[in-house]
Amino acid sequence: MKHRTILHIDMNAFFASVEQQANPELRGKPIAVVGGGGRTVITTSSYEARAKGVKTGMAVWEGKRCCPELIIVIGDNRKYTHTSTKINEIFRDYTPEVEAFSIDESWLDVTHSLSIFGIAENIAYLIKARIRHSFGITCSIGIAPNKLLAKLASDMQKPDGLTIIEPGNVARILERMSIKELCGIGRKMERHLNMMSIYTCGELGRCDEGRLTRKFGIIGRRLKEMGQGIDNSPVIQYGEEEDVKSVGHSSTLERDIDDPAEIRRFLLQLSDMVGSRARRYGVSGKTIHLYVRYADFFSSWGKQTTLKNYINLSDEIYKAALSILATVELEQPIRLLGVTLSNLKQQAEQLPLFEDERKKLFATQAMDKVNDRYGSMAVTFGSLLPGKKKAGNRVIPPSWRPDGIKNVDVK
Amino acid sequence: MESTCIPIRVAVIFSPGGRLTPKWFELGRRKHEVKETTYFWQDRLGEVARMHYAVSDGEALYELVYNTCEQTWALTALKSERP
Repeated sequence: MKHRTILHIDMNAFFASVEQQANPELRGKPIAVVGGGGRTVITTSSYEARAKGVKTGMAVWEGKRCCPELIIVIGDNRKYTHTSTKINEIFRDYTPEVEAFSIDESWLDVTHSLSIFGIAENIAYLIKARIRHSFGITCSIGIAPNKLLAKLASDMQKPDGLTIIEPGNVARILERMSIKELCGIGRKMERHLNMMSIYTCGELGRCDEGRLTRKFGIIGRRLKEMGQGIDNSPVIQYGEEEDVKSVGHSSTLERDIDDPAEIRRFLLQLSDMVGSRARRYGVSGKTIHLYVRYADFFSSWGKQTTLKNYINLSDEIYKAALSILATVELEQPIRLLGVTLSNLKQQAEQLPLFEDERKKLFATQAMDKVNDRYGSMAVTFGSLLPGKKKAGNRVIPPSWRPDGIKNVDVK
Repeated sequence: MESTCIPIRVAVIFSPGGRLTPKWFELGRRKHEVKETTYFWQDRLGEVARMHYAVSDGEALYELVYNTCEQTWALTALKSERP
């Protein structure tokens, strides 16, 4: 069987590199990018800052303790989404089979492009050169026979690396590689495997499949294959993904809130964001999930309700979310709120029977048209009028994609 | 960067392929020559595409925005102090 040739491309310290490129005074200096929402968690940092111990997820004061000369930059998400979209367009010049894994990582299946471009290494160097020329930033590229190994390879040399894992070298490379290096094995899974005396990919690959299946169920087999470097999953290009299973928005609030009226207002805004995105992509759902994280950061809860009918109107989503909130006594002020609509189906347009409902539908459609033309929230509910604090996507969600329903508009 | 939104006059070269190159702009009755365009990105406000240019006059960093619908320019951010 002919081997596939997969590239995994990982932009190096993406947000920080973009900011350093946009502001020449930041180049070569330790910088940390933080969100624009008034909270002070480091989203990413430059390699100069990482060398001093600054890590993603640290509070700004922790970062400053590691590196007193750390420069804090408020991130501009639209700069990053634009750059990511353009970089993915560059990838499509080499193969249509491009899967965006997140805002700064993509897989490319170049198996069928090799007859045009020669070896995969050529494609990798061309992509690196074009990204550097267009945006002044670097990336690490892994080339391997599957997605799992290509990702592993791209992580092996950072920044600006190019690593090739030849099919004949897979077993040798994996033999002593720690299991935590594999994409899909998180800290929890690593702990479980360590308790079974499995520390390296070689040990995982040799482990009895029955033993893994008894412990982990159906993913036992998958784990064994991962240890052997086997991954048959295809590169799924835009338009061929499975249907989305949910539409959701969450927002960390600028400050912790406990005023019920304020909580309701943010809930309405999130419901409107969910509703308008669901309507734009023609889906409606039956299940509404509400997620709340408290001020202490560590305690949270999520509850859901399933309705009889499919809905996508903002006020109906809001009412359902509010009914969930009413069942809970809040223990602390709220730090983060999230609303998700799931159990989706493609919406069959049906005109409501009753006059009032018809009016509501027409009013919503008119609002959507105005907002599509003039920008989100150009027309909105009275209680969300300007002057009041607004929730919003100040963080690019991991599910962000350059196209389609997952292309969430961020501030 | 300090956020602002001031309509300004900008001299631009429109190249084939829709490429725009800001050459100078006026701010506070002073003409600022664009020495370097350090970054470019685009976003949308509803149907309107907006083109953002991070430019330097050698002394400070500015963000100029071109509204493709109204065909107007604005200065939306300014960083005059060294970090």
